[in-house]
Amino acid sequence: MQASFLRIEVLMNKKKRNCQLSAYGYITPILLIMIVFLGVSVLMSVVLSFTKYNILTPPQFNELDNYTRMLTDKKFVKALMNTLKVMVYIVPLQTVISLLVSVVIASKRNTWLGKLANIVIFIPVLSSNAVVGTVWKAILNGHIEVVEKFFAFFGINCSMLLGDADSALLTVAMVSIWKNVGYYAVLYISALINISDHYYEAAKVDGAGRISRFFYVTLPMLKPTTILVVFLGVTTSLQCFDIIYNLTGGGPAMGTTTLVFYVYDLCFKSGRAGYAMAVSNMLFLLILITVVAQRKMMRKDASEI
Amino acid sequence: MKFIEKQIANLVLLVVIAVSVFPFIYMLIMSLKNTLSTYDFNLNGLTLENYVKIFRTAEFERYFFNSVFVALAGVLLAVAVSCLAGYAFAKLKFPGNDKIFFALIMTLIIPSEVIIVPLYLTIKNLGWLNTYQALILPLPTALGTFIMRQAILGVPDEVIDAAKIEGCSNLKILWKVILPLVKSSILTLAIFTFVGAWNNFLWPLIVSTKNEMKTLPLILSATKTQFEPNIGLTMACAAVNFLPPFIFYILLQRKFKEGVVLSGMKG
Repeated sequence: MQASFLRIEVLMNKKKRNCQLSAYGYITPILLIMIVFLGVSVLMSVVLSFTKYNILTPPQFNELDNYTRMLTDKKFVKALMNTLKVMVYIVPLQTVISLLVSVVIASKRNTWLGKLANIVIFIPVLSSNAVVGTVWKAILNGHIEVVEKFFAFFGINCSMLLGDADSALLTVAMVSIWKNVGYYAVLYISALINISDHYYEAAKVDGAGRISRFFYVTLPMLKPTTILVVFLGVTTSLQCFDIIYNLTGGGPAMGTTTLVFYVYDLCFKSGRAGYAMAVSNMLFLLILITVVAQRKMMRKDASEI
Repeated sequence: MKFIEKQIANLVLLVVIAVSVFPFIYMLIMSLKNTLSTYDFNLNGLTLENYVKIFRTAEFERYFFNSVFVALAGVLLAVAVSCLAGYAFAKLKFPGNDKIFFALIMTLIIPSEVIIVPLYLTIKNLGWLNTYQALILPLPTALGTFIMRQAILGVPDEVIDAAKIEGCSNLKILWKVILPLVKSSILTLAIFTFVGAWNNFLWPLIVSTKNEMKTLPLILSATKTQFEPNIGLTMACAAVNFLPPFIFYILLQRKFKEGVVLSGMKG
């Protein structure tokens, strides 16, 4: 009796071990993909950023040259400033627009107009940046009477939107907001729907009007979502490339060259891969700082509740 | 007061709708016009001529095939590796389970844009420039594993134990018992991967330098300069690029939004 029990246990242990070994088999494909394409890339990026490397001849170690060069590289400074400017143009406006639009859509989500808005606001999100860039470029540069009159009404010369270095960056930011608002609206709307009616009823009983209910109930309840929307907005706008490539090609006069764009130019146009990796490491550092800040804020926010 | 508020809300919604769809309507109208270089909104004589014209060129068929093939193969690959890994992380006990999963999730911090140069070098050293594997293999991300792990965690252990007693192997349990129960999450992942792969721009731009390996977004970007005076052809090309994700969205709206909320959750 005892012996057979033992045998069963041994059998089960064996079975368990088999099961454990096969688990490694199941996770191998994704791990392999991650190690070969991500892990190796990060390592190469760090190591080769300390070399002079033009892809054709073997890399030569050149210490901190790439990093010190950035300090005096006017193009790098320009690209960094453009990147930060795009971020500043995009994030606050995008957050406010997506919040306000979401509040309206969520409160009207049972009317046909609200339903339609909820559907179409996502269409720009799912279309490719190539389509977005191409179509907006055609609209802004197309000498369309309606469009030109619309902008002229606000005192804006439509053809200068993409033609002037300063306004081109702003135009890129606006098109990017237009494309992404729907994404953040989805996050906001799903959070808004989850706010319990009890809070609003309690506030109503206390005599709070619509506006004060927004500021004292809705806004605090949405704080975790807002943190998410702001930080996702920051990291996404720091990586802006596709729209710029299709809308302005980085010009005019480097006016819309962002860090990712500069990295692309350095590596694939000028063949300076080592320096390109040093520049993209700086971008990575910026993004890492943002992500760490986000985690800290979210944790603090969660502990407050 | 109530009335005015209601009208303001309706006005906001109307503006949102108009601003969201206006560029796409412009795209569709222009793609259906046959006259060269006219930018008016005159709706007389709409034709499908531009579409016929672009699909008649042999190259365009190739670009279209490339886009479809890369996106579908990417979906299959991402779903396969994510389901396998998600199952292991959710239901199998093995040393390092939590730690490896955590490490995997950490990789989501690394944006694809900051590693394009070393990734390009890896692909180049493998001799994979201008190949399908270069476009497809880097597509799966840890997000897929995360989504499938969450879904499979929700499958009750009793169901799995019952299958085990009947003598099913792990792989058979995954295929016959678990996957049918998490179909909905698989669909979310599939859609997410499809749209991502279909719209992918920077990576194909770098690794597909030969014309026959280019995908639709790249061609659209090149067409603009190539056919600059012919707005109709450019817009038809844009519409072909736009329509597949759009059609999926109209059919499966909820899946798209689920994907957005899930990808926001990982942080």
